[in-house]
Amino acid sequence: MIIEQIIWLPILTALIIVALGEKRSELSYKISLFVSLLVFGLSVYVLYLFDTTTSGFQFVLKAQWIERFNINYHLGIDGISLPLILLTTFLTPIVIYTAKTTLKNKLHQYLASFLLLEGLMVGVFSAMDAFLFYVFWEAMLIPMFLIIGVWGGKNRIYATVKFFLYTFLGSVFMLIAIIYLYLQSGSYLITDFYYLPLQINQQIVIFLAFLFAFAVKIPMWPVHTWLPDAHVEAPTGGSVILAAVLLKMGGYGLLRFSLPILPEGSMMLAPLMIALSLIAIIYIGLVAIAQTDMKKLIAYSSISHMGFVTLGCFIFFIEDNALNPETMNLAINGAMIQMISHGLISAALFLSIGVMYDRLHTREINDYGGIVTTMPKFATLMVFFALANAALPGTSGFVGELTVILATFKANGFIASLSALTLIIGAAYTLWMIKRVIFGPVKNEKINQLNDMNKIESISLGLLALSILILGVWPKPLIDLMNESINLLTLFITGT
Amino acid sequence: MSINELYFILPELIIASCICLLILINSLTKQLRQYSGVLIGSAAMMACIIVSLMLSSEDSVDIFNNHFRVDNLATGLKLVTFITTLIVILGTNTDKLNADSEIILIELFAVLGVLILCSANNLLTLYLGLETLTLSMYGLVASKRSSEIATESAMKFFIQGAIASAIFLYGTSLIYGLYQTLSLTIFSNPDINNSIELQLALAFIICGIAFKFGAFPFHSWVPDSYQGSSNSVALFISTVPKIGAFALIYRLLITSFIAVSDFWTILILVLGLMSLIFGNLVAISQSNLKRLLGYSAIGHMGFVLIAISIGSLEGVQAALFYLLIYILMTSVAFMCLEVLSSKNRSIVTLSDIKDLNSSHPWIALIMLFSMFSMVGIPPFIGFYAKWIVLSELLNAGMLSVSITAIIMSVIAAFYYLRVVWYMYFEKTELPVMKKGSTLIQKSTLSIIGVMILLMGLYPSPIIDFCKSIISPFILID
Repeated sequence: MIIEQIIWLPILTALIIVALGEKRSELSYKISLFVSLLVFGLSVYVLYLFDTTTSGFQFVLKAQWIERFNINYHLGIDGISLPLILLTTFLTPIVIYTAKTTLKNKLHQYLASFLLLEGLMVGVFSAMDAFLFYVFWEAMLIPMFLIIGVWGGKNRIYATVKFFLYTFLGSVFMLIAIIYLYLQSGSYLITDFYYLPLQINQQIVIFLAFLFAFAVKIPMWPVHTWLPDAHVEAPTGGSVILAAVLLKMGGYGLLRFSLPILPEGSMMLAPLMIALSLIAIIYIGLVAIAQTDMKKLIAYSSISHMGFVTLGCFIFFIEDNALNPETMNLAINGAMIQMISHGLISAALFLSIGVMYDRLHTREINDYGGIVTTMPKFATLMVFFALANAALPGTSGFVGELTVILATFKANGFIASLSALTLIIGAAYTLWMIKRVIFGPVKNEKINQLNDMNKIESISLGLLALSILILGVWPKPLIDLMNESINLLTLFITGT
Repeated sequence: MSINELYFILPELIIASCICLLILINSLTKQLRQYSGVLIGSAAMMACIIVSLMLSSEDSVDIFNNHFRVDNLATGLKLVTFITTLIVILGTNTDKLNADSEIILIELFAVLGVLILCSANNLLTLYLGLETLTLSMYGLVASKRSSEIATESAMKFFIQGAIASAIFLYGTSLIYGLYQTLSLTIFSNPDINNSIELQLALAFIICGIAFKFGAFPFHSWVPDSYQGSSNSVALFISTVPKIGAFALIYRLLITSFIAVSDFWTILILVLGLMSLIFGNLVAISQSNLKRLLGYSAIGHMGFVLIAISIGSLEGVQAALFYLLIYILMTSVAFMCLEVLSSKNRSIVTLSDIKDLNSSHPWIALIMLFSMFSMVGIPPFIGFYAKWIVLSELLNAGMLSVSITAIIMSVIAAFYYLRVVWYMYFEKTELPVMKKGSTLIQKSTLSIIGVMILLMGLYPSPIIDFCKSIISPFILID
């Protein structure tokens, strides 16, 4: 029941806020902040109740929904979905909290969109029925479409339509794959799909159909082009949720659908996936260096970091001693940690850029310089986030990337050294940006008059910094949380 | 004929007597005119809804020498017709223009035609219903007498409609020549052989059916007549006649000539695919909202026809489900336009709805529901319609058709999104529109708008309804 509350409480609040109307924005702000905090509290309570010693789904709720097609309203969480749910419920209050400083018009609809999005995202991570999963997955496009389109920058309409059509095209193929699996198994239950005896050529076709949906969301090269546009045009909160949670849904899909349902298909196509991941890590990393727009730079860096997630999901297939459980465990753990850590770091970076944008209304790196002279507190945090993005030891970014690289080393030393290039490239683009924006001479007259962070900004960025640090120094609780579920996943991949 | 048989045509009798009553009132008094249509029309529809709910528990009967069949399908489709018409009537503006042109009176005639079509068990009855419906539609489209576009589109519609009717009639005459009977029951005999003459006759008949559906290449009246008629008329002609068209295809092809389904399913499939592709592609370039909805209707009918072309029981159920959902979504879209339009300013193009979110947030939200539902985004009910059709297509092994269908849905998403972006993302300098709508209109719109969402959250009742009224028919291997 508690999972259900985490899903529906924000959605119902969103409806109430829309009904309250624009005149009562102040009240809406308080309500939504309260509800999002409450939901975060609930999810922490779930974490407290969660049993890390079993691998199966917990907090399961099942009710008949569409009888004729054997579709159930079936929710449940395991160690893979819980961290992502926590990430979602942790970031939404921050986004809502900061909304007031960044936004002037139609605040109530903005808040409602984010609450709606929160409920739907938690729904995606906790759906056990593939049909329900698809409903949550697709429904999320609507609030995101509005968030980018209504509150975005100059080129917002182009960006949001591109975002919508790209993801919609990707996910309809997933729908066909899901229907096909239903016709084979007679049920929409995801775990029933795991036991389907599928031929290798069937597996490859279904894998590609799923991949299309997930690759667009992650996003993987070459279907990544919507992301820089969407990120640049989206309002700060939109970029935060987009980078931190929406992209993770692609990785979650790989872990929940592709790997356990189609292990042989995954194995066949693993070289392709690894190649695409390396392209994302290296090529997109190089592209990031060339960016002059801060948000675009972070967007490309997101794609590059998500490359580690896909690398972690597939690298163990090409090991000589293929499907060695140890490597598999390490790699998938790395992919998961990388997802959570990237969620926190990219959220922090986009919020930081938002802080600067609110003051100077430009995202161009060249318009900045010497921020540290007027905003020392902010500069400190920004540099910390940048270092975390460049995988500095002691931050969560380091743990995720290192774990994946370690697993990659076990499989193939050459690929590992290629992927380790990110430590150089990542440092190059982030630190070069920091050098030009935070340090250096003051280029712009306005910078001399800047105020340092206000209370809202310091609290939100401070919380993110704290969580990045904790996860970087002491990732064990997270690993323990996921361990049993990942073990089960490896059993499905090896087919035992 | 026994007096008992009259019980089964009670809905038809109610409609017919209301038509007479309305004519009398309108010719006798001037004062009551403005409201008589809405009052009598909605009262008649409510009475009919109750009667057809009563009839739905009866067994299927053939009355009037097997000319008229009252079965699950007939009562079910009639129920849908009444509900749709009730929505249309409640949503109609009761201003002078509408009162003078006696829209509701003609709409009742059209409903009578649909009812006859739903129950027809004989080619002659079928044709009678078809013509009652079609002739009323000509009148409806021409009802904006002072408008040039209306006259032009009515003229175009009439000429094309007359040709389509003639072709259809020619097809039926060929069938009569082949079998010396007009009774549809005879044709469901599995021994009917697949002769070239029969194929020719069926091809002619399918032309007529395609015209009624507004399927490519018999579609050109659709956008024209939507554009030419007032919003409430467009709402009517985009919904109720489609029920009649479905009844036509069900009575003629699915239950009667099921023995030659190999032949006609291909024709229907081709028509469906062409409508899907053509309607959605052309809709992209439309800036007139009503034309846009017209082309989108062609695309939706493509989906319905494709589902029918599967030729299985589940396929027909999926087609009916899609049709019902289409009717709901289209009603909401046109009703939004009707509610927003006032005497002085009518909503015609996309730029008329710029920044609707600021001036009328609730109507904008309902329009958004309708648009995302048409795109096929869950949790709106439109998604389930597309999903069921896809599901049945895949079940029948028609993978390439289903891929075409989803790709066209993605293309179609663009123009539906454009409506949303004009409402939400564009800023406008124009003054805020004053609504000329009544409380009844607004509440009807709110109810059906919210239905799009609620049904999407729990679609089972409609799915079960479709399942219950399409009874199993004989399938030939």
